[in-house]
Amino acid sequence: MGKMVAVIKREYLERVRSKWFVFATVFGPVMMAVLTVLPAYMASSTRPSSELSNIVILDASGAGLGARIAQQLGKDGGAPRVRTITPSEIASAESLATREVIARDVEGYLVVDALTQSGERARYSGRNASTIPDTDRLQEATRTAVLGMRFEAAGLDAAKVQSLSTMRLKLDTERLTEQGRGSSGKGNIVLAYIVALLLYMSIVLYGQSILMGVIEEKTQRVAEVVVASIPSDKLLAGKVLGVGAVGLTQQVVWVASGILLLANQQTIMQALGLPAVAVQMPQVSVLTGAAFFAYFILGFIFFTSLFAAAGSMVSSTQDAQQVATPLTFLIIPSILLLTPVLLQPNGVMARVVTLVPFTSPILMPVRMSITAVPWWEVAASIAILIATCLGAIWLAARIYRVGVLMYGKKPSLREVSRWIRLAR
Amino acid sequence: MSVPAIDIQSIAKRYEGHVAVRDLTLRVPRGVVYGLLGPNGAGKTTTIRMLLNIIAPDSGSILLGGVPNTAPGVLDRVGYLPEERGLYKKMQVRRMLHFLAELKGLTRREASLRIDEWLDRLELRTAEKDWGNAKIDELSRGMQQKVQFIGTLLHDPDLVILDEPFSGLDPINAQGLKDTVVELRRRGKTVLFSTHMMDNAERMCDSVCIVARGEKVLDGPVAEARAEHGGSHVALGLTGASTPAIDAVLADRSLVSRLDDSSRFFEIELTPGADAQLLLRRLIEAGAGIERFERVQPSLHQIFLQRVGATGVEPGMSGHG
Repeated sequence: MGKMVAVIKREYLERVRSKWFVFATVFGPVMMAVLTVLPAYMASSTRPSSELSNIVILDASGAGLGARIAQQLGKDGGAPRVRTITPSEIASAESLATREVIARDVEGYLVVDALTQSGERARYSGRNASTIPDTDRLQEATRTAVLGMRFEAAGLDAAKVQSLSTMRLKLDTERLTEQGRGSSGKGNIVLAYIVALLLYMSIVLYGQSILMGVIEEKTQRVAEVVVASIPSDKLLAGKVLGVGAVGLTQQVVWVASGILLLANQQTIMQALGLPAVAVQMPQVSVLTGAAFFAYFILGFIFFTSLFAAAGSMVSSTQDAQQVATPLTFLIIPSILLLTPVLLQPNGVMARVVTLVPFTSPILMPVRMSITAVPWWEVAASIAILIATCLGAIWLAARIYRVGVLMYGKKPSLREVSRWIRLAR
Repeated sequence: MSVPAIDIQSIAKRYEGHVAVRDLTLRVPRGVVYGLLGPNGAGKTTTIRMLLNIIAPDSGSILLGGVPNTAPGVLDRVGYLPEERGLYKKMQVRRMLHFLAELKGLTRREASLRIDEWLDRLELRTAEKDWGNAKIDELSRGMQQKVQFIGTLLHDPDLVILDEPFSGLDPINAQGLKDTVVELRRRGKTVLFSTHMMDNAERMCDSVCIVARGEKVLDGPVAEARAEHGGSHVALGLTGASTPAIDAVLADRSLVSRLDDSSRFFEIELTPGADAQLLLRRLIEAGAGIERFERVQPSLHQIFLQRVGATGVEPGMSGHG
């Protein structure tokens, strides 16, 4: 046990002392702060660009729709030009407009016709066609213009209807489960994303880290000195736990600074002269928190022990990527399935993937943060994960035991399976 | 007889395709310097790895000081210098040594004292510079060897196992190693080292075991082995280079059964029943300027060649012998 502590200590201290760790640990919260402030800053400084006043509207509707759109767009800037054409002239008008766009005389052109009038579609081509605020604004203006025409046709006062139908209704949500009232469901979606991201990042980063550590031990030929003093399964366990402690340290720093940032968000935003975004603190019960912690530890142990075994199979960093790739494929589904689980947290798929040991460490915390998961599902998922974890450690220890003393070419799957059978 | 330091009972280790060690039995008394000799691929490293419980033998048993080597704590009394030496390059020397010491169950305080003592002794800590605070990869190769050596002996082991300790050592460090082995023996420690360099073994070892193709060829005290194989060996030294006439005498199978030719120095095994005086006379008649003509016991090298022969090295085997 004392020897394993020596390994844990070495893995932990050598990593925590590294510049990379210090940088990543500090950089994480900085990034978080930037990500909180930046959207607010962007929102306050970017409006639909003035470029919309420099477009051409090709109006083939024959009902003056183009002029109405121009008027809508002109409300906060110069109104764009309108060319009234007949439907048969669309092609030639478009090619003229295209030349103008290429010559940078105009930014783009909007084509409206009878289909637009009937509320189906309009077309826009231009340099700013992928600028979301611009296209949103254009679509909104066109909609309003079409609506206005319809109101008038129905004998209604367009301006009056407009003012009557304008309102800003906000839906406040509250999570209500058998465990009682929680705070907003939205806060928890954010929490779910953050939890998933943090778990994913630390598993991938520290999986790679332990992989490289094992290979380094082999290439620098330290492994043999070490296994002469400590059994290789204890060495493996020590490495996994040591690296796990590093990951945990980093998470604690990140989570703590995240909470601090959120709690002081109003003050920070005010100091920067930005409108505060109403973010509700996600509320997590002690039990859920404990479950998060359990999933973090188990998921971490599961994946890092596999990464360590993979590292022991090869003897150069060039080969490392090859053995790491299959493992990465075990993690990626968690991220791909994140949105489906968020959309239907109690659907069949969500329930299955939170039981499967490859995906449960990331997706169960996600699911738990947006919905109340029955306790027995959590218990079953953790039990399966623990069992798989033990299996993974057993497997990894056997591969590691043989692999760590093997040099030379990458072993085939057949050879590795023989290691597993014969190792003792 | 007291409990031997190492007691190996018919161990064997097979790998797919070849047998690394086949039925090896070995007993190393306490307080001796023991040489495990053999060509590359003879099974030396495999044997040593089994001794240290790095790999398990397929069959047989290993006792260290009368206790199975799988028992907890037994290996804490063993120091090991592997053939392929290595340290964590990015680690500070002192931290590296602390780590190795803790792996052997030493307390921090104890380790600190001994590390400083060793750094002083091997001149890694002098008035100008304390290399203990440097990273391993800032050290020269020679200094890294020293650090590795400290790591092997830091916990004052009773049994020291050195795998090919002389490979890659410069003459100064090699001399330092020899001195240390002598010093260890004086303090009653047992040293086992493997080598394929017979000269070193001959000078340093009390007892040897010669292995080839995974099997023991011979073992016992060096003096006994030499006496057993001795009696008919002659050391011959010439004042000048050999001539065809001299070569002809030496090629006479009725006199010389085996010859180790080093141009001006020859180790000769006489054909049984041949007369050394006759050989001397024939050589003088052939015009040889003789510097030395002496009845000797055979060198380990000779014994090795005699017992193992040129076939001792199996083709295609190397490295992890």
